[in-house]
Amino acid sequence: MSMQNSNSSAAPSWPLLTGVSVVGVYAHFLLHAESQIAVLGLAVGAILLLIAFSRFGWTARVATSAATYPKLLGAGAVAAVVLVAAVSYEMHFALLMLTTVLLYSTVCLGLNIQFGYSGVVNFAGAAFFGIGSYTAAVLASHSPLPHLLIVALAGLVAALLGSLLILPVLRTRGHYAALITIAFGILFKTFLEVNDALGGPQGLKIPGMEILGWKFNDNIAIGDHELSFYLNYLVLSLALCAVTFVLVRRLERSWMGLSMDVVRLDETAAATFGVDIARWKITAFTLGNGLAGMAGAIYGMMTGFVAPNNFTFGDSLILVSIVILGGIGNPWGILPAAAIVLILPEKLQFIQEYRFLLYALLVILILLFRPDGLLPRKIRNYFPGDAGR
Amino acid sequence: MQRRSFARFTLATAALVVAGAFAATPASARDTVKIAFIGPLTGGVSVNGIGGRNSTDLAVRLRNADPKSKYRYELVSLDDECKPNVGVQVATKAASDNSIIAGVTHYCSAVAMGTVDVYHKFGMPVIVWGAVLPEITYGNNHKEIHRVNGTMVNQNEVAAKFMTSQGYRKWAIIHDTTDYGKGHNKYFSEYLTKSGGQILGTFGVTADQQDFTSELTKIKELKPEVIFFGGLTPLGVRIRTQMDKLGVKAQFEGTSGIKSDAFAEGLGKDLAEGSLSFIEGAPWEKLPGGLVFTGKYAQQKYAEAPEAYGPFAFAAANMILDAIEKVGPNRKKVRDELNNAKNVDTIIGKVTFDDHRQNIVPLITKYVVQDGKWVVWEDSEYGKGKRKLMGR
Repeated sequence: MSMQNSNSSAAPSWPLLTGVSVVGVYAHFLLHAESQIAVLGLAVGAILLLIAFSRFGWTARVATSAATYPKLLGAGAVAAVVLVAAVSYEMHFALLMLTTVLLYSTVCLGLNIQFGYSGVVNFAGAAFFGIGSYTAAVLASHSPLPHLLIVALAGLVAALLGSLLILPVLRTRGHYAALITIAFGILFKTFLEVNDALGGPQGLKIPGMEILGWKFNDNIAIGDHELSFYLNYLVLSLALCAVTFVLVRRLERSWMGLSMDVVRLDETAAATFGVDIARWKITAFTLGNGLAGMAGAIYGMMTGFVAPNNFTFGDSLILVSIVILGGIGNPWGILPAAAIVLILPEKLQFIQEYRFLLYALLVILILLFRPDGLLPRKIRNYFPGDAGR
Repeated sequence: MQRRSFARFTLATAALVVAGAFAATPASARDTVKIAFIGPLTGGVSVNGIGGRNSTDLAVRLRNADPKSKYRYELVSLDDECKPNVGVQVATKAASDNSIIAGVTHYCSAVAMGTVDVYHKFGMPVIVWGAVLPEITYGNNHKEIHRVNGTMVNQNEVAAKFMTSQGYRKWAIIHDTTDYGKGHNKYFSEYLTKSGGQILGTFGVTADQQDFTSELTKIKELKPEVIFFGGLTPLGVRIRTQMDKLGVKAQFEGTSGIKSDAFAEGLGKDLAEGSLSFIEGAPWEKLPGGLVFTGKYAQQKYAEAPEAYGPFAFAAANMILDAIEKVGPNRKKVRDELNNAKNVDTIIGKVTFDDHRQNIVPLITKYVVQDGKWVVWEDSEYGKGKRKLMGR
């Protein structure tokens, strides 16, 4: 008790709030940057800012402050997203990108449970995301089920189909387990292409979401102002992402997270101490796939269309690269990493066919200078502040 | 002292540079109007996307160079990666930006299917330049969606009738399992049975398959007169090569997907000889505007060829530019102007939109490879009876 008090008085909360505001303002400008000069300026600005922050020791202060006030950090992040969204209330495209980042973050939080905590490698993230979209497409077009229930069901279906893989994943390790999930991802895409009942290669239309008569695909009119309909999806995705985040953090802090970590680090040791390896691998795998399915359902309803080409092996790799870029095992790293991976190629549209070249170069550079990702995972911290370590 | 003079010198230079920059800008009062191009600029079919982008860019550059044009045009090119989700993203970007008046959009059918609702929602008129799936125009009634290229329905009707008129009766079909190959299989089979042809066997293959020994061995047993291939160039080259290795003697008939220089070059003169392809539109090489197109395209020194659908993108861009010149940069007016297009002269022949804003293509052009080059059938030695297709 006394330790906690001394900590909170030692570390002020303002560095944290400043940090969150800087990131929020930066995200706002990045979302709205259209000209080449603006995008380049922002890229250079980010590098200078990062250098300045570490040069003057601000990074450490923000980190200490964040560790002291984890709840404030969460609230600040949600507030920043809401503010950025509110400022661009009629910018359809900016909101679409922001919502996409939130949904991909949700999937990556799921992947984080899988290979960040329990070490189950999953290279079929896009396939489970796709299962969610397809479930939403079929159920929303052919059944009167309420749409929120459909989102939950989509998660369930993804988890169920994922359980097909449980046996092979449990029996293999390392590269072999990775191969199985890769095979599943390719199988999924090929199956959709030859299956005409699910639209074949041309895909399916998905009706927009509707909750209790509130149509998500209509713009919201308040007085004379018209708000973008993407705000509906943004709020829903933010809620899903926030709940998932809290879930993942709680999981990490609990004895379950501890068991998962042991399973990842040393299976033999885990078995010796009576930790049920199969149980934790299955839990992590199913939970992660379910999250991917739910995010996929919302994404599908938002874009209104789903086709097998959305869920190639390349898209699974993008999901994996978000987790690695953010720092494996640290849920906080996922949000900035998702923003970089999703928004940057889009902002580089002006260099057209060369944009992936430059983007790939940037990712390599980041990993060269920060091999553990943007925000590497720290040792489990049970008490707020530095002394808890 | 010296430092001060240096500062003065810098200032003076800077002022000169700024003044020069202002002077260099042409003193024109023309307003800038933006139009969009969307197609696959990265990924497996980027060759076609870049060809379309260059062709659209050419139309814009030529218009800007024309002193009579009322506006200065700016092209916004976006990459849809041939993926529907990315397509919806960039379509939203273009359509929700009200400074973009209209768009020349999509090569991939699945992407176009996903984005038509976006254009409709935001009211941006577009002309599809390459996607061939019939449902893009016929599956909805959105006033914003137009298409200058024909659908695969037209293409296959002509192909089936032409081949049966040549006296062929027995077919084997190989198609890739993408929307493109499956669609071609569906419509070609339909028209072939109507015109009295017989299909001995149909084989679906994935778009990246390397080895066709099992399919071709079966086909060899079936003894077809013609092998119909619905798919794109890389696969076509592989199949035709392996047909030769396994000694499958049949006429090779492709779709618009193999009408590329890469097909003839990849196979070499001997193997490619006599291969057939069908493509929508008039043979643009023969229209006066078509020659201007190829000439100007060469002048701009683009690194990539326009490919088979470049002329369609060029024609679409010109229709949009003409509409803007006529009614001004207003989306609704441009849409209505495009809706009513009748007998518009373009480099792909006359364009007339029907009630679903689909160009009623007056002509499908038949091509045959002769001495390593695609030649219009009527001009070829095959058409004139000097050479014979296989088995005739």
